[in-house]
Amino acid sequence: MAVRRASLIGNDRNAGDLFMTAPPDAPPGGWAIEIEELRKTFVLQHRQAGTLKRAVLNYFRRYPRETREVLRGVTLRIPHGETIALIGRNGSGKSTLLSLIARVYKPTSGRVVVNGSVAPLLELGAGFHPDLTGIENIELYGAILGLTRKTLQERFDSIVSFAFDRPDLLEKIDTPLRNYSEGMKMRLGFSVAIHTDPEILIVDEVLAVGDEAFQHKCYRKIEEFQREGRTIVFVSHDMHVVRQVATRVVWLHNGSIRMDGSVEEVVNAYVNAADSEAEEQQRA
Amino acid sequence: MLNELKELWRFRGLLWQLVRRDLKVRYKNSRLGFLWSIAPPLMQVACITFAFRYATDFAAKFNNYSAFVLVAMIPWTYFQTAILDSSQSILLMYGVIKKVYLPREIIPLSNAISNFIHFLLSWLVFFVFLWGYLRAPILPTVIWFPYLVLVQFMLVTGLSLLVSALNVFYEDVKYIVSILLGLFLFLLPIMYIVEQVIYTSNLGRWAGGWGAYIYMLNPLTALINGFRKALLEPPHPDVIKGGEYLPLDPNSLLLSGVLSFCILVFGYWYFNKRKWQFVERP
Repeated sequence: MAVRRASLIGNDRNAGDLFMTAPPDAPPGGWAIEIEELRKTFVLQHRQAGTLKRAVLNYFRRYPRETREVLRGVTLRIPHGETIALIGRNGSGKSTLLSLIARVYKPTSGRVVVNGSVAPLLELGAGFHPDLTGIENIELYGAILGLTRKTLQERFDSIVSFAFDRPDLLEKIDTPLRNYSEGMKMRLGFSVAIHTDPEILIVDEVLAVGDEAFQHKCYRKIEEFQREGRTIVFVSHDMHVVRQVATRVVWLHNGSIRMDGSVEEVVNAYVNAADSEAEEQQRA
Repeated sequence: MLNELKELWRFRGLLWQLVRRDLKVRYKNSRLGFLWSIAPPLMQVACITFAFRYATDFAAKFNNYSAFVLVAMIPWTYFQTAILDSSQSILLMYGVIKKVYLPREIIPLSNAISNFIHFLLSWLVFFVFLWGYLRAPILPTVIWFPYLVLVQFMLVTGLSLLVSALNVFYEDVKYIVSILLGLFLFLLPIMYIVEQVIYTSNLGRWAGGWGAYIYMLNPLTALINGFRKALLEPPHPDVIKGGEYLPLDPNSLLLSGVLSFCILVFGYWYFNKRKWQFVERP
């Protein structure tokens, strides 16, 4: 795939303009995810969380609200069947971009169009309740991820056997989740999420969980997803994993795309930049 | 708003799951389970009866004062616990809404519904007490009962939506709410009956009789009064000086129904206006 230089260093704010002038034609299957001129700004409050007192004082004093632009005009089009890795240093906006695709945030401006069902694996087991049993938590987490009761019942056995493939794990299925180890909770969360049968998988650092054996299983499942033509967008700092799994890499820097292209090219550029940055810091 | 309702319908399975979770988790590690829902109002009623029977001669004028208080305490307990629970509901699910998309109104709604189920179960206990133990007659006005229950559900749900949204941005709200709820135990006709306010007090005569109307304008006052009159026989005439025991007033109940519906619509509108800012609160 050709390298698409989406932004010029030092000219980040106009990054999207390069695309706007020549929007690429849609692939035969259509875009899985279309992101156009996406901006996201958060309000910063340094001193304390929102209280009525502060709100009243701020109203009268008219403090200027400090904001931080986390995404500064990101334009990205992802066709069905691609596996995109988002890389970049901490605070570059990767997770915010994922959250916007998962509809957790609303864009400040620009737009995100997602064509297909989404499974957000931003945090495995978000919504698990420690007092409920494994079975009850499968039902709850399945519903949170948008599974209907009927579909959940159909896939229930498959979810359980995927997560708990050993008899010693399986016997805990009807005990409260607080008796589970962290690894077992992750297995359960991953298994439910993967069984929502999504067309688009959004993953934040949790591509593979659990012990060695289960991680292998996770990667096999990811490969199966890729073969079936599903779209995966994931964030990772592990360049080994990125090289192994991704078909295209997007490098985010300070809220805009610095580079977008083939795996080797972008990863190498990123690693070189990180190395030289580390060297500079060492010298200073 | 129609689109929001459609989205809510699409996620009805989740709403049901969250209600089930609330019902299961609430008393999961206790031996007595649902009894903890009905025990606090019963104990409160016992103490109020004690105070008014032995410290004053007030309670003696009622056929059964405990039933008079309990019929008001059940809607009051539902109102109080549901609103208090809702103030914390979004923050308790904050970890989830920061990571997964779901219609946010499901959270206060599931909270209001699970409390509503406890409310219905409490009535069941009350009916056993009233018709089984006291052998009180079933009045024809009991047909108002389903209407009253529905109106109270609208009122509680509307306020839950409002309070839950406000508390995300101003955590003072939960303190304000809990103080107000403590005061309303005395302002509402729970330990006394509305006729005492209307005929005996200065409030009732205030502003050429408009004081009484203003007092009855509170939908919860009208509802508690309605429940009492729909289910219980009038007390001894001596209780009310300078007036008569008023029969169930359909106009007042219809007005409180309209008000509760308006509160529900307003609460839903306000919630939808703010719900996307929840995850971005500074």
